[in-house]
Amino acid sequence: MKNFSLANLFLPITIFLVKVILIPIYINRIIIDLDIKRRIEPTIQQMSFLVIAIFTMIVIFMFTNILSNSTDLEVIPFASGFSAIMIGIYIIMFRKKLIVHVSGFLILENGIFLIGTSIASELPILIELGILLDVFVVVFLMGIALNKISSTFKGFEVSDLRRLKD
Amino acid sequence: MFELSLFIFIPSIAAVLFLLIRNIKVQYSLSLIIAAIHLTFSFLIFINILQPKLPWFFAIDPLSKFFIMILSNVYFWVALTSYSFLKRPASQRAEEAKKYYFSLLNLYLAFNSAAMLSNHFGMYWVTVEATTLSVAPLIYYYRNEESLEAMWKYIFIVSIGIAFAFIGILFLTLSAKGTVLEGQQLFFGEYVKHAYKLNPTWLKASFIFIFVGLSTKIGIAPMHSADVDATSNAPSPIAALMSGSLRLTAFIGVLRILQITSHTSVNEFAKMLLIIGGTLSLFVTFISMFKVTNYKRMLSYSSVEHLGIISLGIGIGGIAFIGAMYHAIYNSIVKIVLFLSAGNIHNKYKTREVSGVHEVLNKLPKSGWIYLFALFAISGIPPFGIFFSEIKIFEGLLFSPQAVLLALIIFMLLFIFINMSKITFAMLYTKCPNDDIQIESEKLEISHVVSIILLLVVSLIAIANPEIVYQNILNVAKEFNINL
Repeated sequence: MKNFSLANLFLPITIFLVKVILIPIYINRIIIDLDIKRRIEPTIQQMSFLVIAIFTMIVIFMFTNILSNSTDLEVIPFASGFSAIMIGIYIIMFRKKLIVHVSGFLILENGIFLIGTSIASELPILIELGILLDVFVVVFLMGIALNKISSTFKGFEVSDLRRLKD
Repeated sequence: MFELSLFIFIPSIAAVLFLLIRNIKVQYSLSLIIAAIHLTFSFLIFINILQPKLPWFFAIDPLSKFFIMILSNVYFWVALTSYSFLKRPASQRAEEAKKYYFSLLNLYLAFNSAAMLSNHFGMYWVTVEATTLSVAPLIYYYRNEESLEAMWKYIFIVSIGIAFAFIGILFLTLSAKGTVLEGQQLFFGEYVKHAYKLNPTWLKASFIFIFVGLSTKIGIAPMHSADVDATSNAPSPIAALMSGSLRLTAFIGVLRILQITSHTSVNEFAKMLLIIGGTLSLFVTFISMFKVTNYKRMLSYSSVEHLGIISLGIGIGGIAFIGAMYHAIYNSIVKIVLFLSAGNIHNKYKTREVSGVHEVLNKLPKSGWIYLFALFAISGIPPFGIFFSEIKIFEGLLFSPQAVLLALIIFMLLFIFINMSKITFAMLYTKCPNDDIQIESEKLEISHVVSIILLLVVSLIAIANPEIVYQNILNVAKEFNINL
């Protein structure tokens, strides 16, 4: 604990505040405001979704293990980060509700953070804060858009968004 | 520091200030002054009178010098015409959007300048994501269902794309494992200097992720859908900004990583991907032009086409690279003219469908003629600049190993031209069945004056070919190891 200082705690605390407290409270409020039912509406069977997710994770872990022979990386955080990214994408692809898409996006984003830690790339604190702020504002704007969507289209599913096409 | 505050801080402060000053006229004059200062200083930097050193994560190098000039130019003209755009009567709900218009426009300027001037990958990522956030509420200007859907899709898809670009940046860090760069900051300059030491496999992965991720924002096929939706549903000044400068802000990220690969064995692979992306964009435009019925959508696809041509030219390298840089200038200018005239037409006919627009040449003579000439300019008809830049790109392509591609590309461009003209002539000449021919006169608006100036500028740059522009482009090319 030689280099420990209180300033080092600033970033982790901010990340905790934004990712664990602010964003969930905000999403929860949207769910209550819009009266979204807590029912999952997948476009494919829940069972096959699980199988696909597990299969993807197995492939990613095996692949990372092979990669770690040639490159110096930590297998567990890297592979779990990548799995989170893939599962985030699956959730966006296979679910109908837009609010679930937002959480899929957040899972993807968290996966990227996890990979970042496994690579041990250190960004300056200003940029880390900038990234955090960007993520928060994205979720914030998505929430506002979701509010508008539910009042304009009387629904909050992907199938409501089909006006724009060629 | 002084220059940095001009480019970034003053617009951001103005954006906050405009939340307090509610008078649109005051906002407009202040924004115009900021835009003019921005333009002056980027021009001074462009012609080498000023050579500032920027602090922190910012720097001026040939690439940022060139692109910030394009940004300033596009932004200035858009800001100039914004007031006459806002004066137009709009629906009750769009009136609400006018309050935030200039505030967001200034934020847009600040973030775009920051992204173009940054010399650090982290900073670049943060500011590019911020440009998406500043432009999204502007897309929702009309407050109707289409613009809402366009905004949602734009935020969502582009955010995911940019998240992918972040994975690419992380892979770039990985490629530096075991070299001098390990544990160092992600400065562009350092990476270019030590590029030959990077691990080629991870560099390749990094290029793929950054290119694919950012192409959601650039609008390169097959990731172009959100971009086309957003550009076609945004109000016309914003559409001009998006086509002219926002796409290039994203493109500069691809160029940065290409610059790193240009000193390594990955270069051929990266160029290959750019050529594939460019050709695919042309192909998508070629297909869409057959069935498009919405003239603003047609123009958005035209942006996909031209960014495709630029990425094709960069992928081929050599003289085509020079052509691509010229193409970036000309495309950004002509797109302002096209979108402004399309905005005038939309204001008169209240529809974006081609079937609802008749006899533009009789009813809106000024906008109609300008639109016609801008169509010629964008299709590459001399004396407008795009003809000359496309010739350069084709020349480079002809003497490259991919020469066969030239036939395919010219074939597709021909059909894009035919279809765009067909749609445009239908708008300009078709008579309305239940309407007598009546010639109306149109009030001269500021957008007409701006359009004529810009069309003159496009042909003048091409004909006079100022030495300073060529010199700047050569400097950019040198960064990519291209010697002519």
